[in-house]
Amino acid sequence: MTVVADPPAQAPVAVTPARAERRTLSAKRLWLAVAGYVVALIFILPYAEMVISALRPPNELLGRNYLPKHFDWSNFTTLWSTGFGANLGASLQIAGGSTALVLLVALPAGYYTARHRFRGRAFFLLLVLATQMFQPAALLVGIQREFTRFALPSPLLSLILVNAGFNMAFAVWILNAYFSSIPHELEQAAMVDGTTRLGAVGRITLPLAMPGIVTAIIFTFISAWNELLVGLTLTGGAPNSDVPLTVAINNYIGQYSIDWGHLFAGSVIATIPVIVLFAFIEGRVVGGLTAGSIK
Amino acid sequence: MKRRYGVVVALCAATALLTMTACGSSGKGSSASGTTTLKIVAADYGTGPSNTSQIYWQGIADAFHQANPSITVQVQTINWNDFDNQIQTMVQNKQYPDITEGDYFANYAQEGLLYPVSDVFSNPSNLLGVFKTLGSYNNVQYGMPFTTSSRTLFYNKKLFTAAGITSAPQTWADVQADAAAIKAKGNIGFGLPLGPEEAQAESLLWMLGNGGNYTDSSGHFTINSSQNIETFQFLKQLVASGDTEPNPGTKNRTDLWKQFAQGQIGMINGSPALIPIIQAGKVLSDSDWASVPIPGKTGPLATTLGVCDFTAAFKNGNTSKQAAIKKFLDFAYSDTYQLQFDKEYDLLPATNSATQQLSSDPVFGPFLKALPQAVQYPSSTAWAATKTQIQQTIGTAITGDPSKVLGAIQQTATKG
Amino acid sequence: MTQQLVSTVRPRRKTRRRFQEALTPILWIGPALGLIAVIVLWPVVVLFQTSFQHISPDGFVLGSAGGKNFSNLFDEPDLNGVLIRTVIWVGAVVIVTMAISMLLAQVFNARWPGRRVARWALIAPWAASVTMTALVFRWALDANNGVINVFLHQIGLIKSFNSNAADWLGRPSYAFAWMIAVAVFVSLPFTTYALLAGLQSIPGDIYEAARVDGATPWQMYRRITLPLLRPAFLVAALINIINVFNSFPIIWEMTRGGPGHETSTTTTFLFQLKQSFIGESAAMSVINFALIVVVVLAFLRASRWREQVS
Repeated sequence: MTVVADPPAQAPVAVTPARAERRTLSAKRLWLAVAGYVVALIFILPYAEMVISALRPPNELLGRNYLPKHFDWSNFTTLWSTGFGANLGASLQIAGGSTALVLLVALPAGYYTARHRFRGRAFFLLLVLATQMFQPAALLVGIQREFTRFALPSPLLSLILVNAGFNMAFAVWILNAYFSSIPHELEQAAMVDGTTRLGAVGRITLPLAMPGIVTAIIFTFISAWNELLVGLTLTGGAPNSDVPLTVAINNYIGQYSIDWGHLFAGSVIATIPVIVLFAFIEGRVVGGLTAGSIK
Repeated sequence: MKRRYGVVVALCAATALLTMTACGSSGKGSSASGTTTLKIVAADYGTGPSNTSQIYWQGIADAFHQANPSITVQVQTINWNDFDNQIQTMVQNKQYPDITEGDYFANYAQEGLLYPVSDVFSNPSNLLGVFKTLGSYNNVQYGMPFTTSSRTLFYNKKLFTAAGITSAPQTWADVQADAAAIKAKGNIGFGLPLGPEEAQAESLLWMLGNGGNYTDSSGHFTINSSQNIETFQFLKQLVASGDTEPNPGTKNRTDLWKQFAQGQIGMINGSPALIPIIQAGKVLSDSDWASVPIPGKTGPLATTLGVCDFTAAFKNGNTSKQAAIKKFLDFAYSDTYQLQFDKEYDLLPATNSATQQLSSDPVFGPFLKALPQAVQYPSSTAWAATKTQIQQTIGTAITGDPSKVLGAIQQTATKG
Repeated sequence: MTQQLVSTVRPRRKTRRRFQEALTPILWIGPALGLIAVIVLWPVVVLFQTSFQHISPDGFVLGSAGGKNFSNLFDEPDLNGVLIRTVIWVGAVVIVTMAISMLLAQVFNARWPGRRVARWALIAPWAASVTMTALVFRWALDANNGVINVFLHQIGLIKSFNSNAADWLGRPSYAFAWMIAVAVFVSLPFTTYALLAGLQSIPGDIYEAARVDGATPWQMYRRITLPLLRPAFLVAALINIINVFNSFPIIWEMTRGGPGHETSTTTTFLFQLKQSFIGESAAMSVINFALIVVVVLAFLRASRWREQVS
């Protein structure tokens, strides 16, 4: 990208248009800000409704108003007696386990593919790309019958494997892109200074690739945390401690003629770990997506 | 910044460790120390966390464990909407529960998955004989009746008075006229649930009104008989006139029962289980509603739908479990527990001894009297698949062509 | 003498090195390959197998079904509707999402006060899970007391509650329209962020140079932004197509695919079939699978992917 520098002779001429630009910029900025706030509001509204509904007292649940007259926190407290805590634990295990497994497997694969040109590399990358097309919903019947045959001791294990497997492709893709963008020379320079290959990778490459790693973590965690379909299929008959949140919340429908109060209270609580995770990565996700989308 | 990411990665590693230990400790069935664990999956009849069936069964499980310390019973309850689907999934996944309470399917017996009742229950003759065939396959009984109920028409007296109706409906024409009058006052005339939850029950009640049924007297399926098609044409016209709630094919009994309890519906088919829902709604007092026999085309039904929920015991390849199951079922079917369940949920008992105790009860007596003549669902092995299709598609007979929809269901029923 | 020695030593070292060379990649990418093969690829094989089996509703294999599952599937009266609806579903959602995201990305790329906080709001549908969002909308569209109906009643568009007009999810075409809206809503976060990333990777100097040359904002948008944004746009579109095609929670939670199968797409239809007709469900899955492959390949071809990526 060549940078065009303004010749100094033009400077006085440039001042007036710039000042005019700044004035129109403020008006334009104002309109953009308003548009931005309206959009942000629209995106928040459904979830505000979720919180409000969770706070409705039972006799005002079916009220035809925007806000109830009283706010009642009992849905949040009685929620735990329905076994919700166990479901929270199950979801944490499934999402955490799949994320850990994905990292464990995708990091070496992504690193090696980025650094070496080996036989079958193109095929491997193509395979990874192709499998991103396939999602659990389309393969459900196959997944169910396959895991019935495996007969793993706990549905938690099955769900960890399934979630890890389906997020593997994206993680390898992103990590490959990130590692490729880090010049090999940096590692080599470190090794010349006496560190081992692994040390160089750990001290130089990994920190630089952190945005990509974090992106992979976020995507996998959220995807596993919010997964419904395979959970619904593989946890039939399992004790509550093995049933993730999404399935438990789905069960509130039809039970007690739709227990909206508990359903929304549960949903609000289920969103908290995700928000916490987002707080850690503030803004880095955009960077992570840049590398992935362009490369 | 770096430390933050480190925390995230560490968190994931920690959860991974947690998972490994969890998976190491979780496992199923009996352990070496001689304790047996039974798993019972029951349907939830409750209307809220305070009276969920989980409490009822857990009480029995705890008392049983005290009396038999070497046997532990794990209780799981599933809402009715998802019960069939979940049990089916469990069976498809080969993760058989030991005992189920809810719907019974002859297929499971056909595939040899169940214990005959005589193997797991000491006194089969105490079970209500009228439901024996429904729970049998090849003349061997596999399903034990657990609770029963019969259906009647509930109507809102207040709405009737406001609409100027003086007597309860007795024929279909009455129903239509009354519903139209209630609609004119701004409420829903007749609550018609043909959504996936229990469309098979509502459909049968209307079919009976025209002398039709799912099967004929010899057990052959007659779903698309001319009487049944006529019935649905009547319903189609009833819905089109706006005398019911909009789009009945998407509404379930649970939604409509709640609306009836809120005083928004004039008439609806219900069972004694509707009574606690009405009381919990706190809108209708006991004198604001009444229950009468369900109207048929030319007069009230002489027979009603007798619904029975069954207990079944799955073979788990472990003969020591059979003895444990027998002990538990004998324990759970005592009169005390039967009557406790019936009082809790306003349903009817399934054993002769409990029925005798309840026969003089003013509320339950009449329902009990009607039971022996009640009509039941088909007991054929094709019923499971047929029922699924009824639940999913019969609502479309109201908007589309009844003969086509019923014909398609008949096809599924007869192709086995 | 030396030559003889060399020729005997060289082959052994060569094979050992070649063996090592072949082994190392397997060590590094093996686990990833293995996991993908077992979790993603093997079910495809099982799926094809199952579609030719005669299976009882309880999952017992009762022998081969030949092509019967497929013929039963094609005899389903609702299949045509399901297929057409799937096409409409994917087309409408993806096109509307991409269009709105382009606008949103521009808005959020510009600098205005409070932009960062507003960007956070954009993440909400992504964090809250599609299932929950679908449930909130189902609740808001309730004919009796849903908040959307309350609003419409206030402004006079809906005359009474519990009427047919207020029963959005009971009427198949309106229910489907609302579900498309919800699908767009949940797809916007990821797409907007992807396009935003694309926009931010365009160096500001290009715009500076163009402005100096006297280009209007519209010209700059057409000649600079759009072409440079194209890779990000195509990637986002492709991911959207795949996600929307496989979308399950929205339809399932809002209408369960009903009444009957009148709001079902291929994904929810195969789930409905799975309850009692496993073989037929597998056949539907095979058709579904073929559809995805065809659609993705068509998209790649139409967007001249190879040129973009290499």
